Amino acid sequence: MAGMKRVLVAEDNAALARVVQFNLKKHGYDATVAENGLIAWQIATSEQFDAIITDQQMPEMTGVELCRKLREMPNYATIPVMMLTAKGLELELPQLREELNISATFSKPFSPTAVVQTLEQLLAV
Amino acid sequence: MILRNHLQLGLPRRVVVYYLFFCLAALCWLAVGVVRVTQSVISSRGENAVLSRIGQAAAASEVDYVRHCAENFGDHISRLTADGRLAYCAIVSEEGQFLAHTSEDLVGKGAVPQRGTPMRWGNVEGVGFTDKRGRPMREYRVALKAKGQPIGTLHAGALEPGMWGTVRQSANLAPLAILAPLILIGTGAVVLSRQARPLALLEAELRRVSQLPIDKPTDPNPQKTHTAAALGWNRVVEDLQRARSTSGSEDAGAKLASLSQSNQSSADNIIWQQLPDGIATADPSGKIIRANCAMAALLGSGGDAASLEDANILHSLPVHDAQTDQSGLESLSDPAHLQRPVVCELSVGAAQTLRVARQPLRQQGGELQGHLWTVRDVTQQKLAEQMRDQFIDAATHELRTPLANIKAYAETLASMDEPDLESQKEFCNTINSEATRLARFVDDLLSISSMEAGSLSLDRQNVDTKRLLDEVVEKVRPLTRSKSLEFDVQLPAKMPELNLDKDKIIAMLVNLLGNAVKYTPSGGRVGLKVKVADKLLQIDVDDTGVGIPADDVAKVFDKFFRGNDPRVLEETGTGLGLSLAREVVRLHGGDIHVTSEIDKGSTFSVMLPIREG
Repeated sequence: MAGMKRVLVAEDNAALARVVQFNLKKHGYDATVAENGLIAWQIATSEQFDAIITDQQMPEMTGVELCRKLREMPNYATIPVMMLTAKGLELELPQLREELNISATFSKPFSPTAVVQTLEQLLAV
Repeated sequence: MILRNHLQLGLPRRVVVYYLFFCLAALCWLAVGVVRVTQSVISSRGENAVLSRIGQAAAASEVDYVRHCAENFGDHISRLTADGRLAYCAIVSEEGQFLAHTSEDLVGKGAVPQRGTPMRWGNVEGVGFTDKRGRPMREYRVALKAKGQPIGTLHAGALEPGMWGTVRQSANLAPLAILAPLILIGTGAVVLSRQARPLALLEAELRRVSQLPIDKPTDPNPQKTHTAAALGWNRVVEDLQRARSTSGSEDAGAKLASLSQSNQSSADNIIWQQLPDGIATADPSGKIIRANCAMAALLGSGGDAASLEDANILHSLPVHDAQTDQSGLESLSDPAHLQRPVVCELSVGAAQTLRVARQPLRQQGGELQGHLWTVRDVTQQKLAEQMRDQFIDAATHELRTPLANIKAYAETLASMDEPDLESQKEFCNTINSEATRLARFVDDLLSISSMEAGSLSLDRQNVDTKRLLDEVVEKVRPLTRSKSLEFDVQLPAKMPELNLDKDKIIAMLVNLLGNAVKYTPSGGRVGLKVKVADKLLQIDVDDTGVGIPADDVAKVFDKFFRGNDPRVLEETGTGLGLSLAREVVRLHGGDIHVTSEIDKGSTFSVMLPIREG
């Protein structure tokens, strides 16, 4: 498992987190699921991940807050971050995407295959 | 004429009649007095004549008695009565026999003395009596003497002048006696009429002027007479005419017209003042000319529209908040924008939003005369817009989340190269449950929509309350069992039959109990208690769950409201259930409220009126 890329999935909707995790695993990634932003941040500080997939709307800590905190940490300053959102409105703001260096956004309902493909492209660079 | 004038003056008819009666009584009184005076004058004049002639006759009789032995007594008597003033005349001897009498057949017979009121005039005695025919008579008696010896008495009877006799005698004076008072009354009437006529005319003129419509004034007519009242009136008329000619009659007419117009427009004024929007007219610099009460209230003048006059509306707008969007104000104060309509919204403080509209008012030549300002409080509208946005956000989220799951699972399922049966089954179950959640949400949405439209209707029927609650308990018990909760049901032995919509009430109670189960950790307790009070059935649903923060208690019945507690958010929910529950209870004429303590639990109390079917 040493060569496997590690992905952190922050998603409060357990069913959705489960299916994203399933797809990532199928494509050979090591996916870890966090139930909300705070838990995701706690996991991220103790372990290193190659990419983050986060929902925007979550209890305790939103996806944007999580991103901001991660970007402050040197080891997460440049890794790809993909955001899932049910609203999609806030993240349409280009300056926010630029500020947080968000690689891609997917608005629900999204295609898990497309998420995995985008992730593959981002990690291949 | 006099009577008419008096009536015109407003004197009552009775007074005039009294006056005439008084005149008549005075006339009668005067006539009686005149007759009395005449009577006494005649009486005394006749008496003197009679007395002197009786004296002469007595003297002649005494001489005759001495010289001729009373031969010529009869001649003296005849001479006395010749002019008819005396009724009779006689000489009675000392023995009481008639020596002579105007009735010759009585001569030699015994005289009967007349009885009555004794009278005396010098040496003449007399008696007043009433004769056999009822006439008042006087008998004069003079004693006759010859050579110192009494020889007899001379009797002379005269008819007294009575009332009618006097009237008859003074008949020649009658025309004067009647005409003089009549002339006096007539003169009085003429004088009175001359005094009253100008007043009556003046009064008629005043009445004419007062009855003219106020917007069509005409000059009052001067009076032609020269009484003090008429002269005073004419002076007033002259002054009025002079005043009108100096100020210009058209101007005065216009003033009067505008006066009457302002009377008519008082209705418009009421409308203006009652309008819920603040309205004001101002000159181009913004100085308020006229404002209504709503404007005064919105500009913070406490509803006193008059206090706003002459104030500058731009400075009166309540813009206290630094957060206020100043662009609206800028466009209002920019002189370049004075000629066109401007609409802007101003936030006042944090809670209020005013929409200010300014419309230019132009004169006929197109010159800017001022502006019509309207200020409307759109706070409620803004809140409604916010609510709507919130609703759309929440609904979108609630639709997208199950949809996202369904799509993700379906796609993953389809893309599986070598599907293992377990995963397949799990994925299908997830798709199914997400689809159910979506369907339930759509149902809730439809109910909310009917509720908003007021078309959420009840299908009331008489329901056995015990059976209804049993049905609820039956539906909830599997949920409590799966979560290992204690389900404490306390129902009274006897419950009244209720008239309600069974399905909706069951759904409402299952929803309340479902919430209790959802937000109560395993091992907790969920309770259903029913109390029957006077005309009221109280159903309490309590739990030992997460509780509701005090700040949120008031909001739990709002549409799409969901608490921020992660223990709440980890459960699925639309935020519509309690909103629907309250609507259903209220449609039944009842109410629902909640008491809660965070981490201790919540109690929802439903009150339903007991209504006999």
